[in-house]
Amino acid sequence: MTEVKKLVEKEVLMNGTQAVAHAAMYADVDVVAAYPIRPYTEVMDTISKLIADGELDAEFIVAEGEHGQFETVKHASLAGARTLVGSSGVGWLYGMEAIVVTATDRAPVVAIIGNRALDDPGAYGVEHNDALMVRDVGWLLVWVDTAQEAFDTTLIAYRVAEDQRVLLPLGISMDGGFLTHSEQIVRLPPKELVKNFLPPYNRGKYLVHPDNPITVAPQVNEDWVMEIRRQHEEAMERARGVIVEAYEEFKKVFGRYPGSTNELQMPENPFVEPYMIDDAEVVLIGMGTVSKPMKVAIKNMRRQGYKVGMLRIRWFRPFPTQDVIKYLANSRVVCVVDRDYSMGSPNRGGVVYHEIRSSLYDLDQRPRVINFIGGLGGREITIQDVEKITKIGYEHRDTPITKPVYWVGVRGDPW
Amino acid sequence: MGVKDEVKYVEIVYRGIFQKRLAKYIAEGIVYTAREMGRPALSFGRYGDSPERNGVPAKYYVGIGNGVNEEDLIGYSTRVEPDLVDAIIVLDDTLLKGVESWAWQGVQPINLKLKNNGTMLVTSTKRINELLKMIPKKDFNWTLGVINTEPSFSGLWAFKDDLTMEKVWGGLAKLRPDIIDLDHLIKYVSKKQDANKRISAVKEAYSSVDYRSVMKGEGIDFVYNPPRLLTWQEMLEGTVIPAVPRGKRNELFKRGTTKFERPTVDFDTCIKCKLCWIYCPDECFDETPDGYYDIAYDYCVGCGICADVCPVKDCIVMVDESMFADYRRPYEMWKENKAKYKEWLKNVRQARKERVYVPGLGR
Ligand code: SF4
Ligand code: SF4
Repeated sequence: MTEVKKLVEKEVLMNGTQAVAHAAMYADVDVVAAYPIRPYTEVMDTISKLIADGELDAEFIVAEGEHGQFETVKHASLAGARTLVGSSGVGWLYGMEAIVVTATDRAPVVAIIGNRALDDPGAYGVEHNDALMVRDVGWLLVWVDTAQEAFDTTLIAYRVAEDQRVLLPLGISMDGGFLTHSEQIVRLPPKELVKNFLPPYNRGKYLVHPDNPITVAPQVNEDWVMEIRRQHEEAMERARGVIVEAYEEFKKVFGRYPGSTNELQMPENPFVEPYMIDDAEVVLIGMGTVSKPMKVAIKNMRRQGYKVGMLRIRWFRPFPTQDVIKYLANSRVVCVVDRDYSMGSPNRGGVVYHEIRSSLYDLDQRPRVINFIGGLGGREITIQDVEKITKIGYEHRDTPITKPVYWVGVRGDPW
Repeated sequence: MGVKDEVKYVEIVYRGIFQKRLAKYIAEGIVYTAREMGRPALSFGRYGDSPERNGVPAKYYVGIGNGVNEEDLIGYSTRVEPDLVDAIIVLDDTLLKGVESWAWQGVQPINLKLKNNGTMLVTSTKRINELLKMIPKKDFNWTLGVINTEPSFSGLWAFKDDLTMEKVWGGLAKLRPDIIDLDHLIKYVSKKQDANKRISAVKEAYSSVDYRSVMKGEGIDFVYNPPRLLTWQEMLEGTVIPAVPRGKRNELFKRGTTKFERPTVDFDTCIKCKLCWIYCPDECFDETPDGYYDIAYDYCVGCGICADVCPVKDCIVMVDESMFADYRRPYEMWKENKAKYKEWLKNVRQARKERVYVPGLGR
């Protein structure tokens, strides 16, 4: 433990967005493109101040809108610059044309998605549908749930995205309000160590440069598209191994597991965070800060004799199918809490729910899966809500599921 | 179940944009001092609020672990707002009349969330008994403290380092050493720039904060009836809400708690030009049968535009909100007794304070 302590240079109170901005400074980003929308905006507020204070030397480009913002970093990234960008809610969607081609052009842009409800109605609160809009187009997607994890994961993000085996854009999702605007203590490592962890960005033969004359994104139509998609999918698959390497290396260099602090012991799996899962009959699943009240509720329920655990999905793309199978195969009931929805989907449920059900389908002995849609638009999912979810799960250990999807705390439905 | 005394919460109520940084920095100081005391601590804004809108009442929170670890503290605090708080810090005494921090919740009493035996600390130049004329009663005893100072407006784009933070911390340390104590507070403040003057401000507030215990039932009546919100079956579809009929206003969405100043009208000099009616962005003016313009104060946000556009000198004058205990309409008062109204007008306008210039105030 004392050895770990040495590796913490200072402890600073920061919210999730400030943590990301500081990590980007540690990563020495070259180009930042900004266009404001809450709750992501504070990343850019913080970065611009770091530049103004002389702590970071980077180009800070204020775009005329989200589309321009994402085009800017895409081009900069192809020309060899380490970039930071981001958005929230409908702003993220407004940039979508540029966001999609960032992936197909294989620009390892790192973007912060301060998850926010999609309008209308105007709401600043968290909902995951904004980030999930890119789940099918070849972005890497990771969800973080504390400011510390936001800091650490940003460093990991550059390492994974820029790896020549990967070269894919990466979205770091964090819950609007509950993480973007909540200040927690972040243990910052000594800056020099970051150099040991994060090599300079090197695109190799893919660098757009006068000495390396190449064209990116010509018009190719039906002759090339299938092959390009196939390569892209391979890169996504290779990212799995690169992610594992990055977490291992992080531990070696910084002396702790990403997201953990001196006191907190985190289980070591990059893709998912299992919690009290070993003997769990009922397993709760969620992404982002919902894991926080979940853990407290699980401790409470355990004291009352419920064998309940949690699996937090950290990396959503690539999806951790094997880990999901490994951790859920022996459970009886899986309760998936979605802070998103998929209107008209097979079971009228959420996105994560359907991914989990699909992952478990080939098992001979499948756990039952129940879905809870909750916390949309920033509404709370309280410890009491989680306890209720657990009890509903528990009731179905031996009885078939009659109602696969519950809406948590919606006015008008029994809950 | 739940938090009990494992976590202590401090609520900081402030005026959006004008006091945003101040509130945030006060929260930060409490967090760091609690950590000096060896406790995990964090802070968060009531994110649904609109802290970036002029004058809107907004809230900041500090959570301090009292025997719980950091992870559990974060678990308890992943909330829009805590159910109950141990201490409330009110940064502008005009907020005492009630806060409507965001639409559809109605005007809430300032001490709605105060815990049994809790503490409220107000920055004000008024005395405790005067303040109690605006503060709702509770059915338990609690403590009210006053930091004798003008409200400090240190907002989004400027921070006025006038030692208000240090005064608030000092007062809190005196009244709630279980939250932050003086020794550790001084330890924290010593690390800041110009530490000496900050330490003196802390000590000064610590020794001079005026406080007393408020008895159960002491204070004003304030029945808070949260509005019933519609179920999904009852709502119109497609994000549609019906218009408010002509001549009526939305009962669920009063904006009056946003102001720390309000316009007063001298009907004797009004020339009935209608400009105030035209320009008020919140449509607070109502035409009276005799052609004057009456103000619905519970909808007025205190922007001062009417005072700016009124062509008659001193016909509309903005006046400190703390001069008023309620939202009674001026025209009604004038009609009742014109001489008395004139006298009253003179009094409230005389007490008018010059505020620091805040951009975006409409003046
Ligand atoms: S200050 Fe005047 S213009 Fe502004 S909201 Fe109030 S009545 Fe309307
Ligand atoms: S702007 Fe002034 S003078 Fe004109 S109607 Fe309003 S109060 Fe009267």
